[in-house]
Amino acid sequence: MVEVVLEKVSRKFGGFVAVDDVDLAVRRGEFVTLLGASGCGKTTTLRMVAGLERATSGRISIDGEIVEDAERNIHAPAERRRLGMVFQSYAIWPHMSVFGNVAYPLQIRRRPKAEIATKVAAALRLVEMDRFVDRPATALSGGQQQRVAIARALVFEPTVLLLDEPLSNLDARLRAQTGDEFRALQKRLNIATLYVTHDQSEAMALSDRVVVMHGGRALQIGPPEDLYRRPASAAVASFFGAPNLLAARVTACQRDGDCFRLSLDGETWSGGGCAARDFAVGEPALAIVRPENIRWGDAPSGAAVWKGEVQASVFRGATRSLHIATASGLLRVEAPALASFAVGAQTQFWTGEEGVWVVPPDHASGS
Amino acid sequence: MSAVDERRSGPGALASLRLRYSRTFGMAALIALLAFLSLYPVSMLLFGSFHTTPPGVAGAFDLAGYREVFTSETGLVLLNTVGISLAKTIPSLALAALLAWIVARTDTPARGVLEALVTLPFFIPPILTAMAWGMLGNPQVGAVNQAWRWITGSQAALFNVYSYGGVVWHMMQYSTPFLFLFIVEAFRAMDPSLEEASRMCGASQGQTLRRITLTLMLPALTTGFLLSFIRGLENFESPLFFGTPVKIQVVTTLIYDSINQRSVPEYEFATAMSFAVLALMCLLVFWQWRLLGARSFQTVTGKAYAPRLIKLGPWRWATFAICVLFFVVAVVLPVGQLLAGSMFRFFGFYSWDMLTLDHWTEAFDNSDIRRGFLNTLALGLAGATLTMILGGIVAYVSVRTRWQGRRIVDILAWLPWMMPGMVLGVGFLWGFALLPGPVSIYGTIWALLIAYVALGTPLSTRVMSSSYHQLAYDLEECARVHGAGFWRTLWSIVVALSWPSFAVGWVLTFFGIMRELSASILLYSAGSEVLSVVLLRLWGNGQSEVVSVVGLCTMALVLLFRWAQARFLARAVATG
Ligand SMILES: Nc1ncnc2c1ncn2[C@@H]1O[C@H](COP(=O)(O)OP(=O)(O)O)[C@@H](O)[C@H]1O
Ligand SMILES: [Mg+2]
Repeated sequence: MVEVVLEKVSRKFGGFVAVDDVDLAVRRGEFVTLLGASGCGKTTTLRMVAGLERATSGRISIDGEIVEDAERNIHAPAERRRLGMVFQSYAIWPHMSVFGNVAYPLQIRRRPKAEIATKVAAALRLVEMDRFVDRPATALSGGQQQRVAIARALVFEPTVLLLDEPLSNLDARLRAQTGDEFRALQKRLNIATLYVTHDQSEAMALSDRVVVMHGGRALQIGPPEDLYRRPASAAVASFFGAPNLLAARVTACQRDGDCFRLSLDGETWSGGGCAARDFAVGEPALAIVRPENIRWGDAPSGAAVWKGEVQASVFRGATRSLHIATASGLLRVEAPALASFAVGAQTQFWTGEEGVWVVPPDHASGS
Repeated sequence: MSAVDERRSGPGALASLRLRYSRTFGMAALIALLAFLSLYPVSMLLFGSFHTTPPGVAGAFDLAGYREVFTSETGLVLLNTVGISLAKTIPSLALAALLAWIVARTDTPARGVLEALVTLPFFIPPILTAMAWGMLGNPQVGAVNQAWRWITGSQAALFNVYSYGGVVWHMMQYSTPFLFLFIVEAFRAMDPSLEEASRMCGASQGQTLRRITLTLMLPALTTGFLLSFIRGLENFESPLFFGTPVKIQVVTTLIYDSINQRSVPEYEFATAMSFAVLALMCLLVFWQWRLLGARSFQTVTGKAYAPRLIKLGPWRWATFAICVLFFVVAVVLPVGQLLAGSMFRFFGFYSWDMLTLDHWTEAFDNSDIRRGFLNTLALGLAGATLTMILGGIVAYVSVRTRWQGRRIVDILAWLPWMMPGMVLGVGFLWGFALLPGPVSIYGTIWALLIAYVALGTPLSTRVMSSSYHQLAYDLEECARVHGAGFWRTLWSIVVALSWPSFAVGWVLTFFGIMRELSASILLYSAGSEVLSVVLLRLWGNGQSEVVSVVGLCTMALVLLFRWAQARFLARAVATG
């Protein structure tokens, strides 16, 4: 069952294209995240779904009903779309109490008083704010405001929830905890959720699927693990962590189930790798090697091997980040924190076929 | 703690002791000055209200003044005043809210220009528009009524400005831009997502406007309402021009008449009346505090929000037209009338053969006018500068220091706010007359200067304290940590960074002095007439043609200042 469908949705501000041909479907109970750097069009996309912004082309339907169709000039106003929304600033009305804020959607719908009372209480219990019913909204902390905003968005039982960077105004500790709690709540209510963030770890931890956006376009859509392990391009890969990008040439390519096994020739190295598409022999390619997949010491045969000098070794608590100067350039390596590397030491690093993901070079991938 | 401090600080002890003494002395001087500007006239009012003879004449004390205040006749005048003020405040507020909403929240074309146009009437001295409307709305020969007769062919006048309606009409032209300036920032500063959240909750635009936007604006609207209502009670020009000729009396004209228009001036009654008005103002202001103290929620945060404007579609031309119409009525018509009035031989006879420039030469040759103009200019320049310096010092002491006595300074500087110009004028009338022998202020231009500084100080203090509030404290602390002395810090950080507010406040104060009539008319004497007094006298003599010339010149000056302010000071501080 599909709740929200975007078909070739674009939004132009004057000549500037803020959202460019986005296709997306959010299924019932699914948690989909729009991820991208600031200014890439996430908020605009979300606001078009909400009905607060008009699309300049494309179609949006919610629950099978077309709410936005630029070609046919259809635009259902925000209040008719029956979506819950949490704003980045939370938009808690300062002239009302917590109860007043959460009861508002029900009052607008002219529900009986008794029903309002029980539903507000239930919604506040969901976000563990039931103790604060009578607080004036101005006397709430950021985290509490965020919970009230969620309760307000949920109280009228919408089937879709939209959230615009709801955690960005919280401090780091609260952010992780609140995110996990919200994800648990979302699963329990089984509500389709479209979520906006610029924080990749947040996106990965919470989402069923992530939409990586850049310059108004959706670069890739998929489950977090897929995006991390099988990115379609170097741009997507660079969103998650800081992978090593190494230029190489394909020397052999053969299909294996749903992926392709390749042999690569780099500048000073050669080895195996995997890719999502077929490569011709001799075609240039980009090898993506995650720093945490790099081992050191004796390499098994067939592995890609780099020799180099340890330039920097930074202790990060759980891990240790190394910078290795190799003949093919700088190599970043994540090692266990307790492994000891002397700066200046010559060491051999390697990774097996499963640690090398191959994508077309940037100009060919069209991103 | 101070004793310990001094012993410990060793070599710096003497310097710090000296600083402390000079600070105490400075504060005492400041408090004395402010008390002279505010407490002194108030106590003189109280004194004078029991005194049987005019200021400066030996007499006895009795209650005759108050006995006359508490009569049904005076009560009716008071009711009349309240009624007129309510009658002008309510429509002004509605109109100002509409205009502010149009300018701040919709996609109406040319909003920036419209904002400048809509606020312009605030800066025009009401005496000028009063005279212009006196000509425009004259039931026999007023241009509006002539046009009406010509269009409809009827014999009756459309509108007689000498009436309750005329008084209210004229007050509105001033209070609408005043309220607009007061509330437009509140509209602009509102986080648009507060409204969008309401839409997402299922509320329509109308419901959102009612339940969210207007309710959030309520504190600003209420404050504006009360301020404007109080201003309405103090208003002098409108009832003087349009009420007095048809026996409509309000408290200010009653006070004025009993001093200036009776065969025997009734000082005791006028003073008692002034004191009663002052008491009433106190009550109103405290009521305002009580009312707003309880519900002062902040919607104005420091964040800059993306300006998300409401798209009005074709309606945006309607909203555009509303703003333009207001400007035409409040500015173009009066200015046009003054222009016409100055160019035709007789007021009301507009034909080609009546065109003349005689009035211009007459006005420029008139020594009264020249003197009034020079007096006003000198008083404006000196008064605005002194007022802003005083306000700057007071605001600095009360906002950015922890010195003892700063609360007293704050309250004293604010006190004149509750005093209508007329009331303060009566207070100073007594105060100057009763000063000991060698100090003769009474009847000199200094009397006016002192009264203007007193009247302007609350505003200048407010402008400067809001500017100081915006300066981060660490800037100042940083300068001091880096070895700048107190005065140097004051100069380089505070003055250097807050001069735009100083300039804006200066212009506002200058305008305030230019339009002041009610205190001036009590305190002037031969030789120290200001322009507004001269204009009033000419108008009384029926010389409306010369009045038009002077009015136009003043208007040009206003425009020049307003343009300079807009050009060189990016953002006006909207305070009243
Ligand atoms: N109302 C608007 N008018 C003009 N440009 C806009 C408007 N809203 C957003 N933009 C532009 O569109 C781009 C995308 O904005 P937004 O969707 O808010 O980005 P994000 O939420 O990913 O940070 C930005 O470059 C922004 O400047
Ligand atoms: Mg955003």
